[in-house]
Amino acid sequence: MTRILVLMIALAGIFSLAACGGGNNATGGGNGGNGGGNTAAGGDGSGDDGSGDDGTSAGPEKLIITAIPDDNADKLKENYGKVAKYLESKIGIPVEYMHVENYAAAVTALANGKAHLSWMGGVTTVQADQQTKGQAEVVCCRDIDKKFHTYFIANVDSGIGEVKNLKDLAEAAKGKSFTFGSKGSTSGHLMPRHFFTTQSGSKPEDVFSNVAYSGSHDKTLAQVADGSFAVGALNFATYDKSSDELKAKAPIIYTTPNYVDYSWVAHKDLGADLIGKIRTAFLEMDKSDEGKAILGFFKAGSFVKADLKEWDGIKAVMEAGVDIGG
Amino acid sequence: MTGTTGTVDRYAAKRPWGHFAALVIIAVLVAGSFWAADWDFTALTDSVKRARALERALELVVSFSHPDFSAKWASRCWELTLETLSAAVFATFMAIIFAYLLAMGASRAVCVGEESPRGWLRSFPLRSPRAALCSLCRLILDVLRSVPDFAWAVILVAVLGLGPVTGAVALGLNVTGILGKLYSEFWDNINEKEYEQIRSLGAGRLKTFLYGIRPLASRSVQSFTLMRAECAIRNAAVIGAVGGGGLGAEIMYQIGMGKWDKITTLMIFTLGLTLSADLASNFIRRQLRNDPNHPRAVRTRSTAMSVARGYIGVGFGLCIVMWAVWFMGWGNSAGPKGKAKNYLEPLANLASGEELSRFEFFEDLLSPDFDMVVWGGQDIYAIRANPFPDPDAPLGMFMITKETEGIRMFEHYGVLDVFDGDAWTAWEKELSKWFVWRVIKSAAVPVSMAIIGTLLGVIGAMLLTYPHSVAFQLESQQFTGETPHPVIRALRFVQMVLARGIGLVSRGVPEVMWAFLFIAFFGPGLLAGAIAIALHSLGVLVRVFSETVDNVPYRNFEQGFRGSRMTCFAYTAGPMSWRDWMTYSFFQFESNVRMGIVLGIVGVGGLGFFFTFNFEWFRFEKASTYLLVMVAITVVIDRISRGLKLSRIKS
Repeated sequence: MTRILVLMIALAGIFSLAACGGGNNATGGGNGGNGGGNTAAGGDGSGDDGSGDDGTSAGPEKLIITAIPDDNADKLKENYGKVAKYLESKIGIPVEYMHVENYAAAVTALANGKAHLSWMGGVTTVQADQQTKGQAEVVCCRDIDKKFHTYFIANVDSGIGEVKNLKDLAEAAKGKSFTFGSKGSTSGHLMPRHFFTTQSGSKPEDVFSNVAYSGSHDKTLAQVADGSFAVGALNFATYDKSSDELKAKAPIIYTTPNYVDYSWVAHKDLGADLIGKIRTAFLEMDKSDEGKAILGFFKAGSFVKADLKEWDGIKAVMEAGVDIGG
Repeated sequence: MTGTTGTVDRYAAKRPWGHFAALVIIAVLVAGSFWAADWDFTALTDSVKRARALERALELVVSFSHPDFSAKWASRCWELTLETLSAAVFATFMAIIFAYLLAMGASRAVCVGEESPRGWLRSFPLRSPRAALCSLCRLILDVLRSVPDFAWAVILVAVLGLGPVTGAVALGLNVTGILGKLYSEFWDNINEKEYEQIRSLGAGRLKTFLYGIRPLASRSVQSFTLMRAECAIRNAAVIGAVGGGGLGAEIMYQIGMGKWDKITTLMIFTLGLTLSADLASNFIRRQLRNDPNHPRAVRTRSTAMSVARGYIGVGFGLCIVMWAVWFMGWGNSAGPKGKAKNYLEPLANLASGEELSRFEFFEDLLSPDFDMVVWGGQDIYAIRANPFPDPDAPLGMFMITKETEGIRMFEHYGVLDVFDGDAWTAWEKELSKWFVWRVIKSAAVPVSMAIIGTLLGVIGAMLLTYPHSVAFQLESQQFTGETPHPVIRALRFVQMVLARGIGLVSRGVPEVMWAFLFIAFFGPGLLAGAIAIALHSLGVLVRVFSETVDNVPYRNFEQGFRGSRMTCFAYTAGPMSWRDWMTYSFFQFESNVRMGIVLGIVGVGGLGFFFTFNFEWFRFEKASTYLLVMVAITVVIDRISRGLKLSRIKS
């Protein structure tokens, strides 16, 4: 008898849960429609045809561009689609954007001929140079890339205020949780780690209770803002253009010194001619309306000339080693 | 020797100390796994975090009432489901072919056959060219099996690019290893006497295999192949998370964005896929089952029908394979602009050898880093000028890095200090300077996750088996002698349906997907991973547990029945099925360790995480050391299971 009673209660519980679900349905209905916009995430444009990799001296029939995935996939696909279209109109051969899932894949794609031109971060620019055995050429970078910096942000409820340097942060945030962006990111991992270790004298792993890698700058901001992590590091460009609501929940507590970051990197196989054309196309981007729209996405005023030598600083930091404890 | 001592000895030998030993070992393992890895329970103890986790879990539950079934989203999910299915089928098909060939090499009975060496020579791998081939094939299978499909995918993405074919090849490699090992074990376990006559008629090794060994093992081979195919489908649904195409990439992305209504749709499609795979494989199984005495065998009157059954089963399987190849090559319109995209092309290029040159890129994977320099005991520092000088900071102008930190094992504590706790801490600290030790230590994460997860899963499955079993819920009157009231029967039926529903959902949703969800609830960590593993193990185990219970003849319960179904279950059904339960649990543990590594790759931490990190930073020589440890773990667990004589294969 008691067992039947227990069963009845359990059943009643389940039904009432179901009823709850039904009740919320009406209020949650609006949510269902919201996300309809980004249905194409993940799939299209992913993978590649492998068709353009025979271009050695004559140049490829089709230019394949790629980019490190430092923002959400839909945005990247939309905007690099525009870049591809713009380049196509300037250099006269078909251009296609290939989406990759992580930073290393962009470097590998460039190194083994799966892509010809890639939008790289600081670390990935150096890695591209190393992995192509010196066959990488920096086409150009943004005006803002020459004075790039990282923000350390903290959740507003975490009780960590603005700090003078990262030594103070190490003391204030000891035992709290921390997140970098992507593992291969310059502004989201390498440089904040470098500044943290040189200034505080200890590894983030030894100071924070938990050091995570959110995967991208926008996720870092979201996760610090919602309290999943107390402290995080992300690049200034992503932070500056995000909503005020997020900024209020995750204020800046420290700004790092400047360093050089992103660049367009081409494989020298393309030939000096074609690389020259691509460079001109980027450098005069701020002259057309179409180009200005693209620059808006890149958060830049214009693209400027750059040389691989400018990335020597990043290279030195990388050579000093990235010790994550494994 | 007097009679008394003999009796005492006999009783002593029978004394059931084994169970107590097992309990102690389990307790030690549990304590060890909490001690060896960093468990973070704040998600459960801290009220703010707990509230947040609950809130998100509730959001997911609530969203089940309004999944996003808008035409656009549903059709996208459908396309991804097809892509997942084709990748899994393609992978299994390739795996069967390669596993068969490799298993023929790895099976001692097939490859080596009769031999004259005796004693230690019998297990010496280089005793004959055949034996050497056998060992080589076993080694290849071990490596293929112990590197998880996700790790293969991480490596292959760089060569084949993103897309379903990468996932398919990655899955295929892993499944080849698993199937190859199973096949060769099946063949080796067949008693030589059963095919002696074929040998005596003068058949060579190949003929003995084809006409003697193969047919005798065919039923096990068939049923385990189908079981693996189901697993491959589950894994294909999530392998997209590391670039393998299919549902996985989308699932991970949407969980990151917190779009619960879309996640629900994806989960429903995944469940639909895994459940229909279940049904399809049961259909094939039924058609191919040629044992007329099997209780669930299809009995047909006409000869034509019974002959046709085999063709129907094989034909059905082949149709799916052909569809998968067509879909991957020409049918998938999920590409840009709705244009069919040939995903097989990279594979064809690979076969043509042109792309093989790209593997040069991974040369360093062949030279693992053993970091032997540290044993020299010398510290080597490197001082570089800081390219970003900061005069205020303590190390601002320079970057000082320890290139090598020498190990001085017994500097502070001698060998004789073994009873001093501090000595052990100090020794461990010294040893941690050795990269290989850090790699081995990182294996603590997947292993402790697997221990805790499996234990929770097994306990849960045992409890759920009671409401899950037909024998105890629907047909209990067969041995209790009661005539239950229709309401009570209805309640028992509802209870069973609920239990089956729980089992179905928790095994139909892949572990990795559970892990994504629990990471979203609790944050990344061992807790999320262990719960995911526990939940999935629960689903898998409750099915086999209750199958063993249901297979016990009712007359055995009749004698053990003491008036309560619950006690009858606990004291009769449980002990009767105990041995089988433990065997299944151990195999679940084995696969959970591999899953622990995979969960590390997707963000939980430990071995898998460090492997991907080093791989993505192009430190292939270090990544390679991690791969070696993955292989080592599998081999060790394998040897333990052989030592415990837990074999899936009943002789």
